[in-house]
Amino acid sequence: MKHVQGSYLTGYVTILVKGNRPELFFQDCSNQGVQVWNVQKVSPEQCKGNVLLRDIKRIKKIKRKRNYKISFINKKGYPFIIKRIFRKREIVAATIISILLILFLSNILWKVEIAGVPKDIEEKIDKQLKSYGIHPGAWLFTLDKPGVIQQKLAEDIPELLWVGVNKKGTTFYLEGVEKIVVNEEEVVGPRHLVATKKGVIKDMYVSKGLPKVAVNDYVEPGDILVSGVLNETEDTTTEGKDSKKKKAKPIVVAAEGEIIANTWYEISVTVPLEANYEHLTGNHEKKYYVGFGDFQLPIWGFGSPDYEHIHRENIDNNIKFFKWELPVKIIETTLSEKTYQELERTKEEAIQTGIKQAKQELQLQIGPEATIVSEKVLQQSTENGKVKLDLYINVEEDIVKAQPINQGD
Amino acid sequence: MKKIQQRIRPWLINNFALPSDVVLELPRITLIGQIHAYIENHKGLIVFTDKELKLRTTKGYVQITGSSFVLKTMLPEEILLEGTINDVRFIPD
Repeated sequence: MKHVQGSYLTGYVTILVKGNRPELFFQDCSNQGVQVWNVQKVSPEQCKGNVLLRDIKRIKKIKRKRNYKISFINKKGYPFIIKRIFRKREIVAATIISILLILFLSNILWKVEIAGVPKDIEEKIDKQLKSYGIHPGAWLFTLDKPGVIQQKLAEDIPELLWVGVNKKGTTFYLEGVEKIVVNEEEVVGPRHLVATKKGVIKDMYVSKGLPKVAVNDYVEPGDILVSGVLNETEDTTTEGKDSKKKKAKPIVVAAEGEIIANTWYEISVTVPLEANYEHLTGNHEKKYYVGFGDFQLPIWGFGSPDYEHIHRENIDNNIKFFKWELPVKIIETTLSEKTYQELERTKEEAIQTGIKQAKQELQLQIGPEATIVSEKVLQQSTENGKVKLDLYINVEEDIVKAQPINQGD
Repeated sequence: MKKIQQRIRPWLINNFALPSDVVLELPRITLIGQIHAYIENHKGLIVFTDKELKLRTTKGYVQITGSSFVLKTMLPEEILLEGTINDVRFIPD
């Protein structure tokens, strides 16, 4: 009964044949190669049986030559079910509309929740977010990635120390930490000032405390520069029951001051003699695609710009259905024109750029308050088209660090 | 000529062990208990009601009687009959 299998998929009908000796009609059918099954004699003049939907044309052809009446009494199979569904247009339309609606609603930002910050900053964040286009009702795939928003927010709102942006479905959760301007946690109690780096003292401004070093002294890290103990005596080092009884109790203060010292750094940099730069000219075009796996269908922005070199940047945005991400995504491609620039430097120029580079790097390391006084090339070598430099750089900077005086309590 | 053929065929069956239904063009009837009858190699349907099935064969007819007959499958030379079978009878021409 092989042929009966799968007949539900292709659809079959039960036909009722009326006439003289109706079973012969089925015999004719099977002789012509039409599959017939479940043939039953209903009455002497009537006979019913099943045939495949696709054989109906042939059955009509067979019928033409004979004197039989055929009526279809039962239709079964998917083709009929589908036809029945499609006949009801309202249902089809409603289904399509509801799917579209769900698609539409799943891709819209519903809520922005801000937590952890006071009202005024919350409002500021809200305003800022609106200027980025983030507000309830915005398309999700037009928005930046949470990481980018996080960065932008932290930059644009100075009151925020940190902001965490989390996208969960159709909601943005923002968690902020307000920057509380606290004066640097100073050691309030009695303290010394000690050196953080080795260097030669250049200038000293001591407003409180007892200076222990003089200008042009060489200090190592950890050396006490300004002491917080004012009436320091030699025998305070031996502590115990004796020291308590001493009349001259040590007077301790919180030492304050600024010690500018001459420090030095050795830095090595390598500078290539030839360099290639990619430079964006600022011309760009945007294109939009609907992507399905590897396949991309352009929906906006046709034709390619006549740039000689193109820098491509793709941003993928998956479309969502409820919480699931569909394999369909909207791809935004930015094509930017770029030019290649070759740069050749002489050795002299290379050394200059190397020094500049080293200075910039160092300035970043030691902070903006320090000033670079001088630099000197200790060693230079040229290898494989690169200039290697060992630099010695002299810096004037504040080397003070507070250290509490341990009173042994 | 026909007589030679008629004589050769039984000889072929005996000496070459060929299936008799194919060589002699006789119907092969497979019965499964009382419920199924599978008839191959028939030459046409003559009568079919819910109590009787009559088929033409090379030499006469095959008549199957019983009750509540349904033809489960119909192929050009094969028929699968379902129902309650009471008897199978060969009717010569």
